Amino acid sequence: MNLEIMPDIPPVVPGIFTLPPYSNDESPKLLGGFCPICNRHYFPKPRYCRVCLGPVQETSLGSGGTIYSFTVVRRKPPLGLPEPYSVGYVDLEGSGLRVFSLLDPGAITQLRIGLKVHLAVKSLGHDIHGRSCLRPYFTPMTVG
Amino acid sequence: MSLASVIGIGMIPFGKHPERTIVDMASEAVFLALKDAEIKPAQVDACFFANAFAGRLFGDITLGQHVFWELGINKVPVVNVENACTSGSTAFYLAYNMVAAGQAEIVLVAGAEKMYVPELGLLDSGATELETQLGLVASAGFALRAIRHMNEFGTTLEQLAKVAVKNRRHGQLNPLAQFREPITVEEVLKSPMIVEPFTRLQCCPNADGAAAAVICSPTVAQRLGRAVNVEAAILCTGSYENPQDLTHWETDYRACRIAYEKAGIGPEDIDVVECHDAFTIAEILHYEALGLCPRGEGGRLVEEGETALGGRIPVNVSGGLLSRGHPVGATGIAQIVEIVTQLRNEGGVRQVKGAKVGLAHCMGGDKAADTKSCTIIVFST
Repeated sequence: MNLEIMPDIPPVVPGIFTLPPYSNDESPKLLGGFCPICNRHYFPKPRYCRVCLGPVQETSLGSGGTIYSFTVVRRKPPLGLPEPYSVGYVDLEGSGLRVFSLLDPGAITQLRIGLKVHLAVKSLGHDIHGRSCLRPYFTPMTVG
Repeated sequence: MSLASVIGIGMIPFGKHPERTIVDMASEAVFLALKDAEIKPAQVDACFFANAFAGRLFGDITLGQHVFWELGINKVPVVNVENACTSGSTAFYLAYNMVAAGQAEIVLVAGAEKMYVPELGLLDSGATELETQLGLVASAGFALRAIRHMNEFGTTLEQLAKVAVKNRRHGQLNPLAQFREPITVEEVLKSPMIVEPFTRLQCCPNADGAAAAVICSPTVAQRLGRAVNVEAAILCTGSYENPQDLTHWETDYRACRIAYEKAGIGPEDIDVVECHDAFTIAEILHYEALGLCPRGEGGRLVEEGETALGGRIPVNVSGGLLSRGHPVGATGIAQIVEIVTQLRNEGGVRQVKGAKVGLAHCMGGDKAADTKSCTIIVFST
């Protein structure tokens, strides 16, 4: 378990990833929405299905994916994020959704298109009110 | 037949104007446009004012009413418009539609922004957006496209840099541009890294500035003369479908296709283009969306000089956002000012010879790997 995760630190936004504590062999999971009528996945979960306007179920979008593109922000990091920090789009296994995400700021030199990654969660930067918060990020499969 | 025309344009030099307010800058641009059109305040039927950041940075709202009253314009409808980087061109789109629908004879459009303030960090697409909270800044949105385009099509760092070099060469010829010193590919690549692969000289600088235009019906245009016709004014919003192909803004292609259809022309008919070169990759992607070259070959197009002044299809002869700077609310109208200038054959040393058809393209905001807004205005003489 990640020691940086404190039980009193809230997620940056509720409902987008499973919260700690995680068991030893378990990765945090990204949470999204699913419309069973339209067979459609969403991230984040919308209030209504954008096709049929029916109710959307909360669903796990898993933790694994592949980097589709990435970049490194070298100046003026917003929201207390590290300098530099990295972001990218990750193609999720299963749902096939392409989601925007932080990438592991400790693994910047390993990043490349096509790299297999999995979700992790830690205290990273602050929220829009300036409070410490948990943020999800993808980290290379080979690390940790 | 064209349903509306531009009969007046006005713009102040973009740059640092610490002593001037938004209202002060915008009212000068409107004054210049009214003088250019040779019309009086009492002839104006409606006004649109574009601004994106005054609420956030200065706590100002509904600035349009202040701006237009500086010119003695009151009582008529005034609408304040915010649509990210397309705020100005969206204001123009609304004014065009008002005239085209026969609801007004003469409509004023103005846009202004004050960006040189210490508290302005990297721009984002809205503080409470999930993507912003997960670390997305506007420059990163474009950088992710650049890295993917380089990966899929072999676009090079040198090709990206050549967009900045070309636009600065153009900016050198534009007295209203903020940055007018020539730069080389080496200088571009050696400037400080901001967001990989963009160095500072590949990112449009901030600016304070204002621009304005007067739009009128064909009847008024005939009476006053010196008109440039609006052949089409298009506004498209993102599809937000998932997954998005980051090398290919579907929204960009869709807006271009609709604009060409409505104007009854194709890319081969265009003589001059102003496009939203917020970052070097953006201009390359817009070449492809506009059909100036096949998909994936935008880097080659700039490398071969085809989009430089004197080339087959000059793009951003004003110097673009990269040389003017990007006062967000003013940019969309500044592009229109340049196209109208070119089609009037008043471009001076940067005139595109014999330009008859021009296009102003703008894009704004980031959402779900798509753009929030894309505008295209086609002009002819």
